[in-house]
Amino acid sequence: MFNRKKFKFNRNKERQIDEEVLKPLYSNLEKNTEVLNFLYEDCSDVIFRSFVIADQIKAQLVYIKGMSNIEEIDSNVLTPLMQQTDQKSVNPRLLIEQRVSVAEITKIESFDTCVEQLSVGNPILLLDGDQQGYALGLAKWEKRAIEEPSGELVVRGPREGFTESVEVNTSLLRRKIKSPQLKMKTLKVGSYTQTTIMITYIQDLSDETLIEEITQRIKRIDIDGILESGYIEELIQDNSYSPFPQVLVTERPDTAVSNLLEGRVVIVVDGTPFVLIAPTTFYSLFQSGEDYYHHFIISTATRWLRFLFLFISLLLPSLYVAVITYHQEMVPTTLLLTMVDSREAIPFPALVEALLMEITFEGLREAGLRLPKQVGAAVSIVGALVIGQAAVAAGLVSDPMVMVVALTGIASFTIPRYNIAIPFRLLRFPIMLLAGTFGLLGIMIGLLAIIIHLSTLRSFGVPYLSPMAPMKRRDLKDTLIRAPLWKLNTRPHLTGEYNKYRQSSNQKPFPEKESGEE
Amino acid sequence: MIEKGKISASQMSVMMYHAIIATGILFIPKTVFDAAQQDIWISPLWAFPLGLLSVYIAYKLHKLYPDDTIMQYSEHILGVFFGKVIGFILLLLLYTSISVMVWQYGEFVVSEFLPHTPKYVVIGMMILLCAFAVHGGLEVIGRLSEMVFPVFFLLFLVIVVLLLPDIEIKRMLPVMENGIMPSVKGSLALYTWFAQFGIIYFFFPYLTNREKGMKWGGISVLAVTITLVLTNIIVILVFGRVTGNFTAPLMSAARYISIAEFLSHLEAIVMAIWIAGTFIKICVFYYALVLGTAQWFNLSNYRSLVLPTGFLIGVFAIQAFLNSAEASEHFHEVSHGLTDTLVYGLIIPMFLLSIAYIRKMKIFKQKGREKK
Amino acid sequence: MKRLKIIWLIGISLFLLTGCWDRRETNDLWVVTGVGLDQTEDGEIEVTVEIHSPNSDGGEGMGGESSQVGGNKMIHQTGKGISIPKAIEDLDTQLPREILWSHTKAIVINKALAETGIREELDFLIRHPEPRLRSYVFISEGSAKDIMALLPPLERSSSEVLIELAKSEVLMKVTLFDLMEMLKGESDAAILPMVDKLPPEEGEQPLETNAYINQSAILKNGKMVGSIDDRLTRGVLWFRDEIKEATVTVQPENADGLISMNLIKGTTKLIPEIDGNQLKMTVQIETIDDVIQNKTNWDLNEIEKQRILEKELAEAIETRLTDTLEIVQKEMKADIIEFGEEFRRKHPEQWKGIKKDWEERFPSVEVTFDIEAKILRTGQGNVPW
Repeated sequence: MFNRKKFKFNRNKERQIDEEVLKPLYSNLEKNTEVLNFLYEDCSDVIFRSFVIADQIKAQLVYIKGMSNIEEIDSNVLTPLMQQTDQKSVNPRLLIEQRVSVAEITKIESFDTCVEQLSVGNPILLLDGDQQGYALGLAKWEKRAIEEPSGELVVRGPREGFTESVEVNTSLLRRKIKSPQLKMKTLKVGSYTQTTIMITYIQDLSDETLIEEITQRIKRIDIDGILESGYIEELIQDNSYSPFPQVLVTERPDTAVSNLLEGRVVIVVDGTPFVLIAPTTFYSLFQSGEDYYHHFIISTATRWLRFLFLFISLLLPSLYVAVITYHQEMVPTTLLLTMVDSREAIPFPALVEALLMEITFEGLREAGLRLPKQVGAAVSIVGALVIGQAAVAAGLVSDPMVMVVALTGIASFTIPRYNIAIPFRLLRFPIMLLAGTFGLLGIMIGLLAIIIHLSTLRSFGVPYLSPMAPMKRRDLKDTLIRAPLWKLNTRPHLTGEYNKYRQSSNQKPFPEKESGEE
Repeated sequence: MIEKGKISASQMSVMMYHAIIATGILFIPKTVFDAAQQDIWISPLWAFPLGLLSVYIAYKLHKLYPDDTIMQYSEHILGVFFGKVIGFILLLLLYTSISVMVWQYGEFVVSEFLPHTPKYVVIGMMILLCAFAVHGGLEVIGRLSEMVFPVFFLLFLVIVVLLLPDIEIKRMLPVMENGIMPSVKGSLALYTWFAQFGIIYFFFPYLTNREKGMKWGGISVLAVTITLVLTNIIVILVFGRVTGNFTAPLMSAARYISIAEFLSHLEAIVMAIWIAGTFIKICVFYYALVLGTAQWFNLSNYRSLVLPTGFLIGVFAIQAFLNSAEASEHFHEVSHGLTDTLVYGLIIPMFLLSIAYIRKMKIFKQKGREKK
Repeated sequence: MKRLKIIWLIGISLFLLTGCWDRRETNDLWVVTGVGLDQTEDGEIEVTVEIHSPNSDGGEGMGGESSQVGGNKMIHQTGKGISIPKAIEDLDTQLPREILWSHTKAIVINKALAETGIREELDFLIRHPEPRLRSYVFISEGSAKDIMALLPPLERSSSEVLIELAKSEVLMKVTLFDLMEMLKGESDAAILPMVDKLPPEEGEQPLETNAYINQSAILKNGKMVGSIDDRLTRGVLWFRDEIKEATVTVQPENADGLISMNLIKGTTKLIPEIDGNQLKMTVQIETIDDVIQNKTNWDLNEIEKQRILEKELAEAIETRLTDTLEIVQKEMKADIIEFGEEFRRKHPEQWKGIKKDWEERFPSVEVTFDIEAKILRTGQGNVPW
């Protein structure tokens, strides 16, 4: 299946590293050492330690500094192996089985596996006269502890988040789904980075063709390095020109698990706490994991609030511009007169005023993100207050405009996922231009264009706007509203019908018996 | 097949709903009022069977040729030459019909909202938008109409509810002052709209659940009728005998809304639902025209036709009428006589169906003879 | 796909770059809140607009320091011409900014213009897409220009005063739409409130006073034929089932003072009847009132006294209504009480015959009253002291 060479080396070099790497190990230790030395030339972090096993067999231990557990190498590998033995001739393989107390030992037959094992931190043990090497599972490097994900805060819900290490991340998933049906397929992508990518799904819940499709798309990637799941996202999504995210990104294991249970596929990428969930739909981007932890009425209300604020964040400045420059009759007279007063001395057209303020606001927000934490808070507060105040005082913008911008800014923060908030922040500007040219007609045209675009989108075969369009009545229970848990009996319909029912029906809680007044 | 996408019967139903109601909701009350006076709300009921008939004929034809649209089975029924001729006439009628719709849209926007904006800009923008959607194919149009429908209906209800404080029952009285005839005469104007249901023959072959086609087609006709009755009732209850003074009574009614001083001048809502609806309407007809043209030329893909067709529609829509007087004369004639929509929506399919039946009977007889 | 995108790009930039055709910045607008239409003695039309003058230092007014509140912020401007559009054209030449008509909520027409006919002038107002159907229409005793030019001490502008007056519904409230409906009706008669200015208080500037409604103008065929006072106007309101506020004061027989009652609810039903050639109309009124003042020594808690009072009330209303009929039906022959409509609704067949000579037959309609008055509460002070 994988006809490509795993590592790519510079072919301009005179040395034929490419060929060396594909060769199997030699039985001669010196030759093996030579090849490895050759491969890791000028790599001062690779340590070669030669020693003699039981005074008889020459051996070579290779590891990378800082990636392997040195204490364990000392106590579990070197010490026992270097001990004297009474036997005249020892069988090295047997000796390793007898003496090396390491849980995970992988046998190596070629140089490329050798390199692969070294790169993940496993020390390699090579013996003289043996065509087989041993990779000892003693990798250990510094990892970040499991922390609360800062990008997706919840009031109620688990406080753990994914980390940069793929092992930790998969273990977090496995800890939540104990069933062996949870499958993880490993792929390596990136000719230099050889980043581990785990395709995680629950067997019998996910569509086989979907998994196949995702695997194929990831395998198609031929790139030098994968540094973040964003790379994968961009390289596997259906429509790469669309500003709308077609893959869900989360830092939270509980969100990932709930999506697994709905038959979706989770893609874990080494080196980043952000996992990808596919396929996704427009509406699921507005859901937060917390929706399911609170009472359903509250969650439903919150969802509606989010949609309302979504419209505000997309349309409010445009509506303001359209109404104040085209449809003055729509404003109640008293309000209009106040607005007229406050705009009287403003030199700019309303459209320019709105663009000016919105761009300033976006700039402030971006600055707030990038600034060091110590000054960030100060700058955003000072910036917002001072610039707003000063702009009004200087007669550059009007009071209502400041309010509109502030409300728009707040509104865009109510969307639980950053990656869906961004396209709406961006689309605000073209709609503002349209509103400035055609008034409400322009806004409608802009909205319709967005809806057309959304209707053409698909995420791994699932229409982006489902379950609204095409309508799937069963799935509406968890779209605009969040029905009580005991009503969410069916899994969302993605590409096929797999294991339709997720729980038994009639689970509405009720008291067992009318308790008498005793 | 040229179109690979499939839509569900309910999607088709929603599409047709928009295709009929979008312009109707604004212009029907006035058009019908001229004939039916305060009985305008009865007229849609008389037009209802006609809409149903259009759908039924299209469905019958679909039953005979389940995988073909009218462009294809007209050739099966009449032979290639006459089939092409009928197809050509059909396309021509569709083309003028869309152009008039687009003209109506442009005229209305320009006269009510943007008096100084050149019409070609308003029309051109809408056509570009529709081209974008039509290019996406049938599935996209289906999904679009599904997305627009709830918003459309909700906002429509909002308007109706907000107008409730201003209604007066006595404006509707006396019911059937001059007997049944005025409302029937009024329904003649409605035939223009209800006959448009005929173009459903372009969508039947692409249904995922064909057996439900007729049912959902009927539901669509019913929904249109109910919406029109509701619109007409609310308009007559609010405006009474003054209805005839407004070109778009529902729009004026929305303008008239005033609740607590703040909720007033809501014509923007009407404009929003009307633009969204008109957009779907134009898309549906535009798509039918493009698909039909591609089938007429036996092309393998219709997408290359989208922009040229749009350009033609735009040009014709701008040139359609010189001024509003000419247009109103046209609409007056249309609403009282044989209309283009009646021809392509009802008469041509009826003709094809009868020929198809006659031919079938012949074949049946022949087979009978062979058996003997 | 690529081609499509390029076309999109070109299209969008074309639209966006060519300009904003209908853009109207508020800085370039003058918001008109009221219009006065006058016919001068030489037959020309004068259009007076009341314009809100923007307070240019509004931007600095953070924290409400602006002292302009309550000050004069209205500008009045008059244009002349042979027709309304001509007068507006004249007005446009005088004003540096564009006029925004859509907030016009008060339209005052002077008596002279009303007498020559308002139908033609109304046509302009309706055809124009901007003015609201809910604008209130008034007829002014003197010139509309004077009414507009008033500087009311309390409200922001005189049009605001007029709007509030109309909204209080003490007397007629007629919007542009109501007027259209009346003029389109079977009887072609209309009733409009009439405004006049209150004589200013002593020591005040002559303009610092309010307008007030004290009469109603009666129009036939779009032309004003006369006016009725406030008492009769309330009678008309009773007939039209529009009565909202009414205070009736009666002096019952063998009582030594007056008792005033305030209307809580009043509904009127007109029941037309055609008896051969004779047209009959029964006016059915149900009303519920509260006693607000009792100057007599009656104890109103006595059922018997209440009965007498209720009867007195019904009689008072009936007298008022017959007085109204006397003027409106017999004298002016203007069917502003919508008898014609009722006949049409109840007897559409016969109406077709009656309609032609309705104007002659209207005064001969026989009216009977069926008034049921109830007293709901007698107020706190049950026993007079």
